[in-house]
Amino acid sequence: MDAVVAKPQDYKSDLKPIWCPGCGDFSVLAAITRGLAELNLPPKDVALVSGIGCSSRLPAYSTLYGFHSVHGRALPVASGLKLARPDLTVLSVGGDGDGFSIGGNHFVHACRRNVDLTYIVMDNSVYGMTKGQASPTTQADWTGSKLTPEGPGVAPFRPLEMALSSGATFISRAFSGDPMELTRQVCAAVQHKGFSFVHVLSPCVTYRPEQKGWRELVHGDFTEPYTDRRDAFLRLLDDDGFTTGILYQGAAAPFQPMPRATQSVADLGDQFVI
Amino acid sequence: MDSLEEFIAHAVALEEDSAVRFDDMADSLDVHQNHEVTDLFRKMAHYSRLHLAEAQKLAEGMTLPHIKPWEYKWPDKEPPETPGMDATHYLMTPHHALVMALDSEKRGHDFYAALAATHENPRIRELAQEFAEEEAEHVALLQAMLLRYPAPPPDWDEDMDPPVSVD
Repeated sequence: MDAVVAKPQDYKSDLKPIWCPGCGDFSVLAAITRGLAELNLPPKDVALVSGIGCSSRLPAYSTLYGFHSVHGRALPVASGLKLARPDLTVLSVGGDGDGFSIGGNHFVHACRRNVDLTYIVMDNSVYGMTKGQASPTTQADWTGSKLTPEGPGVAPFRPLEMALSSGATFISRAFSGDPMELTRQVCAAVQHKGFSFVHVLSPCVTYRPEQKGWRELVHGDFTEPYTDRRDAFLRLLDDDGFTTGILYQGAAAPFQPMPRATQSVADLGDQFVI
Repeated sequence: MDSLEEFIAHAVALEEDSAVRFDDMADSLDVHQNHEVTDLFRKMAHYSRLHLAEAQKLAEGMTLPHIKPWEYKWPDKEPPETPGMDATHYLMTPHHALVMALDSEKRGHDFYAALAATHENPRIRELAQEFAEEEAEHVALLQAMLLRYPAPPPDWDEDMDPPVSVD
């Protein structure tokens, strides 16, 4: 693809998203397609791997190679794909339930392993696809679900702190209502060498309609990425959960598998005792 | 915005983004069988593309600068004529759609009017004035259309059989 030829529409499939009108995930899809066009990456060179949930439908709406995988297991699939095909640009997408609860363990270890891929989490603090239950990032006193009539009663998971603790080398937060900043972060994350985590505040207009008010709460105060983890940790102690920008960008080398001689499928089979 | 080329690049991006967003919103409403609003959004996308063609015609013979999406100099977070996706609702009526379109055109008008009033480059001032006048015509047109689509009753979004409900 030549320079300036790529258009965001080149990365969109003919399928119409079935998200609720007004859902923040529309803007994330737009930011990803806009970002890939800006980076001029041919669709055949990019793979998009998701888990399960509303936001995990995203691969179907793109012309990229897609893998709509198992609940919480987008990151193992994406990591394996990147290690097997390092020439591909690999993005993984999903929601807060998929990524921080069912896939919480994989999230931690993907940060630690630092494979060169980008993980975009659309966080709306609710399980939308299963009709509105509390998720790992739901506030302790949220009483919107009949399953937790007095609220989940548990402090919300802190994705940025967890990513930083676990070793992610690129950490940012964006808001779906600011799609140009989100596009900037997607581009920076894809260009980063190592595991990049983009936390997107993406309102659920159906089960958390009050999240439309996030527009008034977000503030872009992560102005310059920290390169020292201690500084980033200190900054996070003052974070209200609505600060956007690139928080941290480290320089640790991405994980590379040990070089091995090429093996055929038959050779691999011989290693298993039946 | 320093040069005529940069101004035209903004005009092109403004209409292009607006057309894409109206189409996205039409797709979204189409999925929910809201055909009346779908058709209206499609029309808006069509008009944006007509204006895009005009802006692109102005660019003939010029080399427009490549501007990164986040480096355009918009007054707000998005191009001024791009309607906010979060204002859509599956039960929205033509009245709501027209109000959204009207707001978009008003923002477009204000953007060009401000440039026409303040820019140092006389050619940019002249073109911005021309575009502002066009946007003012669109505003008047939409205001006239709105008379045919008065605001719905306050319970317009009440649904006794919603497609999704809290379990």
